[in-house]
Parts: sequence; structure tokens; C-alpha cells
Amino acid sequence: MSTFGSYLRSKREELLENDRRYSLRQVAERAGIKPTYLSQIERGELDPPSEKTTIALAKEVGQDPDVMLALAGKVSSDLQAIIRKHPKAFADLIRQLKDLPEHAILRVVREVRDGEW
Amino acid sequence: MLYLTDNQKLSFRFPEVHEQARLTITLLRTLRVPDDGNDYPLPAGLGCFPVRHLEDFAPRVPATWLKRGGVMIPMYQSEALWVNFETTYVADQGTYPFAIKVGTGKINAVTGSSWAEGLTRGPQDYVVAPKQESLDGYATGKDIVRQFVAMPLGKGYSVEEQITQSDQWGGLQVQVYPMKREVFEKRFPVKPPLARFSLSNDYSRNTFDDFTSAIKKVQAGRGSTTKPDMGVAPGGRIRQQIFADDFESTDWDLAQTSRCFIHLCNSALWKSLTGENPPTPPLTQRDYQQAGLPWFNAFKEKAQTLTGSAKLASLETVADHAQTIGDPPLKDNSSLIPQFVLDLWGGSKRKQ
Repeated sequence: MSTFGSYLRSKREELLENDRRYSLRQVAERAGIKPTYLSQIERGELDPPSEKTTIALAKEVGQDPDVMLALAGKVSSDLQAIIRKHPKAFADLIRQLKDLPEHAILRVVREVRDGEW
Repeated sequence: MLYLTDNQKLSFRFPEVHEQARLTITLLRTLRVPDDGNDYPLPAGLGCFPVRHLEDFAPRVPATWLKRGGVMIPMYQSEALWVNFETTYVADQGTYPFAIKVGTGKINAVTGSSWAEGLTRGPQDYVVAPKQESLDGYATGKDIVRQFVAMPLGKGYSVEEQITQSDQWGGLQVQVYPMKREVFEKRFPVKPPLARFSLSNDYSRNTFDDFTSAIKKVQAGRGSTTKPDMGVAPGGRIRQQIFADDFESTDWDLAQTSRCFIHLCNSALWKSLTGENPPTPPLTQRDYQQAGLPWFNAFKEKAQTLTGSAKLASLETVADHAQTIGDPPLKDNSSLIPQFVLDLWGGSKRKQ
């Protein structure tokens, strides 16, 4: 069973415990795919779906699309476009940040500046 | 720590407190409800206001704004907004709680008192997320708010001007305090899988932005004022509960806080500062009703709620003040009967 498929299934089934709208059939319909296809993905019989479908499924089960794309072995196309603009700079930056904990990584993200008021 | 994401979300994070201590605040465009003394349900969200870092446009931004820092959004005169709070679910435990102060012109929107750091309980001067999912206006009575409506500073409309006789600040201010980590761990211990979710929302208020694109017609000539600074004034009455804080005052981590000054630009200033066109003018009541856009009731019957501020309730609304100072009457302000009222939380519907 693939990591992506099993993770997706576990999250969907958690939601299903309290809400029937999270049945395989209903989630597949809302994500725009066939239930049989979703079933095969969840069981790891097929590779993870396209970026668009992965994002749709992530939203359906309340998961972060970037995390789900990572589990699917993908990087979102908007991130790819950003990296392609400055490939050397981003490659260096990401390698330098790779061992830092998340809170330290967040420190390099641009913050909204507060002033005097 | 405060980040701007997708040029529309203010993401407050407190990784030193808890890696999942995240609150996202968005500012939603919406219908200005009639300022006619009647009570209205909650109008739908019609898309997020675009948000920009001030310093990206530093050479053209007023020096006083740069000194205050923060972000800016475009608003049309007499356009309404609501503030949406989105919290993060911590797996197997619960949603991380936050105390949030909201002000306009540095006047607290819950109490009408001057802006002050920290949290006060008597009277409570903040809202608590996730229970409070949004704030649509000034707390003027029990389960009633007066809608946030943008008006130019200088003519006495804003809450700030009515209370302080000054138009020094304008804008919108928010400040966020997370729950202490140890309190969160104690109050929300790891649960077995069966007890995790209780999803009851059948509808979401903030997903109606697609409708606005279908109603762009006729709107090119509307809006636009010449004064750049905008304040916020009280508009029509909306039924909205402001929930009392169920936690202890010591549960909040007052040492960890983040705040933001949100400057309000009129559409002309937005264009001159950013080079971007402002959003389409706000929907009229007629647009809204003809498009069949819904209204919402969101009542928790047994919840303890605040009684509202007598000081805020005593202020003149936009329509009242226009009459007082001899301005033309507020346009698009006829009384209306909401057509489609949905119940957000699946409880019993209130009578219209």
C-alpha cells in the first residue's frame, strides 16, 4: 500500500466515522473522479493522481495540499515555477535550510512588519 | 510571527508555543446590509480583499502609514467587510484556541474602549476562536452587531471620530494571543480516534466569490472617493453572537502576541499606490437578491454571549450621521427581506 493511498484512506475513514458524506463514493464524486479509481489509489494499486486531483482530494479530507503532494512525490506547479525563476538561489537556500527545525525555517519567511501605533 | 500568504491571508503563527498554533485571518467582502434599524442575518462572503505589504510601495505610501507598519487593503466608500477567523486542528486533540482583539481607529470593536495591550475580562474586550468564527461589526447589543462600513475620515462618521473627536488612526487593528501550550495539552488531551470530529457545518459563508464575477455588469462607474484615509463606521444591524470566553484568563499566553495594523485605501489611492485595479465595486442589494445569494443564521442556542457595549450602541450609524451633517442619504439603503436564509450550524432557525 502506498504512503499516499494509505494516508488518504485513513484520513477519509476518520471523517467517515461521524459523517457519511466521506464515503468513498461521495468523496470521489466531489473530487471529480470515479469511485473505483479512488479505491485503487487508496489501496496503492495505482500511482497517486494528477496534481489537480491530489489537491482536490486533500481539500476534501481537510489536509494541506502541499503535504499531500509531497506524499504523492510531487511538488506543486506554482512552486516549480517559483524555483525555475531563480533555480540556483532556491537550490542553495533549500539545502542550507534542510536540517533546521520548522520554527527556524519560518524565521526566514517574510513577516508583516509591525510599527508604532 | 505574522505572514501574508496568497496576498490575502494574515497568518499568525506561534511556533515557540506550539507548532500547530496557527490562526489565519481574512477580510471578506460582503453586502452592506440596510442601515434601517431592522435586524438582518449574516450576509455571505463575496471573496477576500486583496492585501499587500506596505513597504512594497514605500516610495508612494504616506509616511505615517509606514511608521505604523502592517498591510493595506482597498475598500470603496460605504463598503462593508467582515473578519474571518480560521484555526488549525491539532491531530487527535482539538482546535488550537486564540484570543483576538479587533479594533478600528484604535477603538475596541467589542467594548468601545481605547485600544490597549493585553486582555480584559470585565467587560471582555476580545473574541475567542474557534468558537467565534467571524466578526461582522461592533458589539452594540446582546447578539447584535453594527456592521463594519468603510467611510472617509474627516467627516465624523467613524467610530474613532465619534468617540475621540479625532481622525488620527483610521484603519483596522487586530492582535492575537495563543493559549498557553501546557493549558492546551491539559484541556485537549490526545483522544481515541472515535471521539475526534463532529462536523456539523453544511454550509460555508465565505465561498460566494464566484457569484460576484457573474454580476460585474453596470459596476464600472460606481464608487471612488478622493480622500485616501478610510476609517470604519457602524452600519446596519446584524444578528451575530459574540461568545463569552469559556476559558480561564490565565489560560492565555500574554507573553506571546502578534498584531497588525490594516490600512484602508480608497480605490483611487490603491490604484495609484499599487498600479493594480481595485476589486469590482461592491454588490448592491439588488445584485445580491437577484443573484439569489444566501443569508445565514449562526446561533448557538445555549451559548453564553456578551451583552454588547452601551458606548458603541450610542453612536450614530452611517445613515444617521449623514442626516446629522446634511450629507446626501446613504445610497442603496432600502429595507429588504432576505430571500434565502440558511442555518450554518444545523440548529433551529430564528424567525425572520
